[in-house]
Amino acid sequence: MSKFLFVVPPFFGHMSPTLSVGASLISRGHEVKWLGIIPVAGHHIPEGGEYIYPEEDLLPYQEELQHMLRRQDDGPNCSAPEVLKLAFEETYVPMARIMRNGLMRAIEEWGPDLIVNDCITFAGALCAHIKGVPCVTTTPVPPEVILNNGGSLPKITEWQHNLVRGLQEGFGLDSDHLLVHSRMMNIVFTSQEFAGVKDPSPHMKFVGPVKGRPNNAEFDWGRLEKAARPVVFVSLGTLLVDIRKDFFGKLIEAFAGAPVTIVAATDPAIFEHWPENFIASSFVPQAALMPKMDAVICHGGFNTVNDTFMNGLPMLIIPITYDHFHTAKLIEKAGCGISIRYKRLRSGEMRKAVFELLGNSNYRKAAERIRETFIDAGGNEKAVELLEECSNTPHNIHTNLHNS
Amino acid sequence: MDTIVTAGKLNSNEIFNLLKQFITEVIGEEFVEEMDISMDSSFNKDLEMDSIEIVAFSEKIKAHFGDKIDFTGWLSNMDIDELIGLKLGMIVNFIEECQ
Repeated sequence: MSKFLFVVPPFFGHMSPTLSVGASLISRGHEVKWLGIIPVAGHHIPEGGEYIYPEEDLLPYQEELQHMLRRQDDGPNCSAPEVLKLAFEETYVPMARIMRNGLMRAIEEWGPDLIVNDCITFAGALCAHIKGVPCVTTTPVPPEVILNNGGSLPKITEWQHNLVRGLQEGFGLDSDHLLVHSRMMNIVFTSQEFAGVKDPSPHMKFVGPVKGRPNNAEFDWGRLEKAARPVVFVSLGTLLVDIRKDFFGKLIEAFAGAPVTIVAATDPAIFEHWPENFIASSFVPQAALMPKMDAVICHGGFNTVNDTFMNGLPMLIIPITYDHFHTAKLIEKAGCGISIRYKRLRSGEMRKAVFELLGNSNYRKAAERIRETFIDAGGNEKAVELLEECSNTPHNIHTNLHNS
Repeated sequence: MDTIVTAGKLNSNEIFNLLKQFITEVIGEEFVEEMDISMDSSFNKDLEMDSIEIVAFSEKIKAHFGDKIDFTGWLSNMDIDELIGLKLGMIVNFIEECQ
């Protein structure tokens, strides 16, 4: 049996698939811990696992950390190049510095056999490299978004690489290689077909969506059962807080009194009154809810995208910021949904798009095709098999691979 | 209509009006009405163009001016701060100089 340490960022969308994979590893008898830089409520962590929050090591960084977390809400007001700058200069790089000491200590104290770092949590791979622990990277988003723009913007690539090299130097690593991602294995939680990646490097392993993380959120199932069909699920994920009122206001404008029930995953308190045909609920058991839906509206957070197509549902994607635009393009290309940019969103268009999705079976058929590719990718079982393989290989082989 | 065929060189004011027309065609009149498009408009921030719209806008420039103006090549050589600071007036100047 092996010890797995997942190194995760303070963003639930990135953490979520690791919780599902971790639960599967625990059920196989492995020891699993997570390490992150914000406290995480115990009920999110699979039974038998442990979440390490290195409070003491983080104390000197609290102000910087809180500033970084607040800045994430500015994403919707940033242009594309500003978002890139926010992500690299103000998020990924400082996050790695902030995490370093606590992570080094955890590795020394616990001695994991394998470190699994999320793709934006650079400290995981860097500390693994320093400590000679094998490392696998997990990527919840379509992979080309991070550290690679296909060579079309050479100065942007150069800027990103210089930032990473500077970070590496700060970790005492002098290398021309980018060491922030594992070059042994990168597990991607989508299918190669949906991601539209041709000829991926052999270390990229597309395992599709994973499931099974604990989610005990309550929901008014009785009300849903009595509700008129079709039913449309609407989620804005966990990150974007400031624009909630505006977004759901437009949703009400579009669907109040329409022949459809809207399940809105948001704090009901943002409005005093909700229309009769709306069920608003703060936290929802999304995986359990999805099979009962007919269509989904979301901004393109990757976990909701995965849940949607795992259930073969069509999607109206309303990209707002970050990697949403890339995901929107993939969905349009696959034919399983319609994309309307948030900045160009009109409630009339939104209503028209949703009834088109519900009425035209081509979208659902395309969604079912994506579902097939997701299932074929192997999910939890494949992810566990790959991680076990990596943890069983002798360390020196990994280190050599890392240094090659 | 995508293109207006003009024989001679355009002055900056004419180029500005032409680009404004392209922007309107790309992002839709109803959204342009809410904007105050000027030479000082930030391409990314004020016009809020996403990558698909920028591609459509680039194609209109190409269709109108032909190969002598390599707008995409010019853009792709920018660094991150140049992209953030890109103003409509800079595109007007670029086109005026390339003509």
